[in-house]
Amino acid sequence: MSSHEPTPKTRKPGERLFTFLLVIGSVYLFWQAYQIAGFSDLSSAGAFPMATAATMILAACFIFVNTLKRPTSQNTSFFTHCFPPIVAMIMALILVYAVVLESLGFILSSFVFLFITIQFLYRRRMLTTLAISLFSLIMVYIVFRLIFQVVLPEGIVPERDIIASITALWR
Amino acid sequence: MDALNYFAMSWLSPELLALTALGTFLGIYVGAIPGLSVTMAVSILISFTFSWDVNNALCLMVGVYMGGVYGGSRTAILLNIPGAPSAIATALDGYPLAKKGLAGEAIGLSTVMSVVGGFIGILVLALAAPSIADFAITFQPRDYMMLGILGIMLVGSLSGSSLAKGIFAGAFGLLIGTVGLDPMTADERFTFGIIELWDGINPVAVMIGLFGISEALHQLQHMDKAVIKQKISRIIPRLSDVKKYLPLSVRTSFIGVIVGALPGTGGDIAALMAYDHAKRSTKEPDVAFGEGAKEGLIAPESANNAAVGGAYIPMLTLGIPGDAVTAVFIGALFIHGLNPGPLLMVEQPHMFWFTVGNLTLANIFILIFGLTGIKLFSKIVECPKGILIPLIFLLSIVGAYAINNAITDVWWMLAFGVFGYFMRLYGFPVGPVILGVILSALTDENWRRAILTERGSVIDLFAHMFTSPLSVVLLMTIVLILVTKTPLWSKVIKPKCFPNAS
Repeated sequence: MSSHEPTPKTRKPGERLFTFLLVIGSVYLFWQAYQIAGFSDLSSAGAFPMATAATMILAACFIFVNTLKRPTSQNTSFFTHCFPPIVAMIMALILVYAVVLESLGFILSSFVFLFITIQFLYRRRMLTTLAISLFSLIMVYIVFRLIFQVVLPEGIVPERDIIASITALWR
Repeated sequence: MDALNYFAMSWLSPELLALTALGTFLGIYVGAIPGLSVTMAVSILISFTFSWDVNNALCLMVGVYMGGVYGGSRTAILLNIPGAPSAIATALDGYPLAKKGLAGEAIGLSTVMSVVGGFIGILVLALAAPSIADFAITFQPRDYMMLGILGIMLVGSLSGSSLAKGIFAGAFGLLIGTVGLDPMTADERFTFGIIELWDGINPVAVMIGLFGISEALHQLQHMDKAVIKQKISRIIPRLSDVKKYLPLSVRTSFIGVIVGALPGTGGDIAALMAYDHAKRSTKEPDVAFGEGAKEGLIAPESANNAAVGGAYIPMLTLGIPGDAVTAVFIGALFIHGLNPGPLLMVEQPHMFWFTVGNLTLANIFILIFGLTGIKLFSKIVECPKGILIPLIFLLSIVGAYAINNAITDVWWMLAFGVFGYFMRLYGFPVGPVILGVILSALTDENWRRAILTERGSVIDLFAHMFTSPLSVVLLMTIVLILVTKTPLWSKVIKPKCFPNAS
């Protein structure tokens, strides 16, 4: 099929380490699977996990050996082509966002997250970014919190009181 | 009569009608915007809709699925960027048509033919599924086990560059699915003594991580792509054109249904096969293929929408997903307490006819939305990635949190997101992982049932496989896939048996 990517001739930086870690991880998981019931019975709780972990070890070893056979690609480095700073930075931002989500609440943490990431990726004037992130946050809030009734972490913003006072104004 | 009643359910209820319309509308945009995929959208939607009534949730998701498969063609024609994998073949002739100033006509024609394909797919689903379900009741546990393995292997071998990577991903998914207390013996599996892991890892968190976060992270590398605007003229296609290409559309629709119904193959492969068929069967095209032949636009568009109906056949009758999107769908059905498989048709026939009616409705909405609103469309599609990607992250995290209101799911989602990023980076397909997670319980249970009925003897299990034609066929297919991908085949057997094949 033409949709397939051709098998690359060279290996990417970090590929050797990644596939090696997969082998180690598979072996560890196999050992964990063995701990469930050992080789006691083919219909035991551990039989199927052991079979899958064994398949993983076989496949991972095969991939690892194949990776070793290919030459390292020239002109590529791990930190520019495979794991550029932008990806690392966004990953870190997401991590921080997830950590503070429950304590700060959805509105505040999401707003800060959107503002920083959009400013960082879209690179427009501060005010434009502010408007975009406010608008999209309001849209998300209306669609998911008010229409879909999804429970979102409230945090330090007294969200329910605000909504209650707004609806009170309406009446 | 009952069937008709259930069929019309989503047509007559204003709420369901509106949700299907909304779903289809969203689906068209999700499919069209490069960077958003149907799999991603349905994964996130599951988490938001899981407290809903099952009918409402299904209406929305069916609409997104149907609309998304169609929507990919829009950007393929206008921007030469397929919005979805199933639109790759559409871009081959669709974009040249747009460059000639015929973008409107191309969109109109592909809309009509997508709808034709969609209807044929649904028709085949309605006619074939009941008898397949009857047949499926006679399946033995070993057959189910092999079907599960076959599905994962097919996706693994078709979706990536190497079968080993596909198998690794599939096995990894199966293993993730076993985490938690064993449903049969309550033994702890991979819990590491942590009580939170007793319920296992939530499949929705895995899905959002692999299809939401990891895909968005991957796209950070291709942030700046210039968008070329196309002029859009008339959209409603000429009747003479529709008449002329209808036979081709019907033929390729049947290709689409069959390819879609096979476990492991979906719309993308159906579209490429249909394109190939059109190329070979059209003796004298008005315009050469690749330079804006309408045949090359119609064939893949009919086929990929027909494949939706086809993909529902194994999903509803066997509980076996055909590809990543249907795997996510099965996850949604499980969450709503439905158990896809042969018994679904017996115990809840209304679900089947409801789905058929709903698919039909979504298909009609494609026709309506497809031929209108093009101005709005070209505005939204130009939404810059710098805004889109942060929103995907936001929705992924909130979606993962909303499943159980638990931050644990968010951590799992992020872990799989990061792992998925590296998997994609080094050429591992992520589709088989999700297929494995969904099929894990089915394969595990049926393996144990099969081996228990043989009193623990593997030799008896294999011996009895040869007494049933179905088991033999399944076993042979699995062996064939493995053999054709090994060096033994490509170096020794293939040159001898097929010396002329390239």
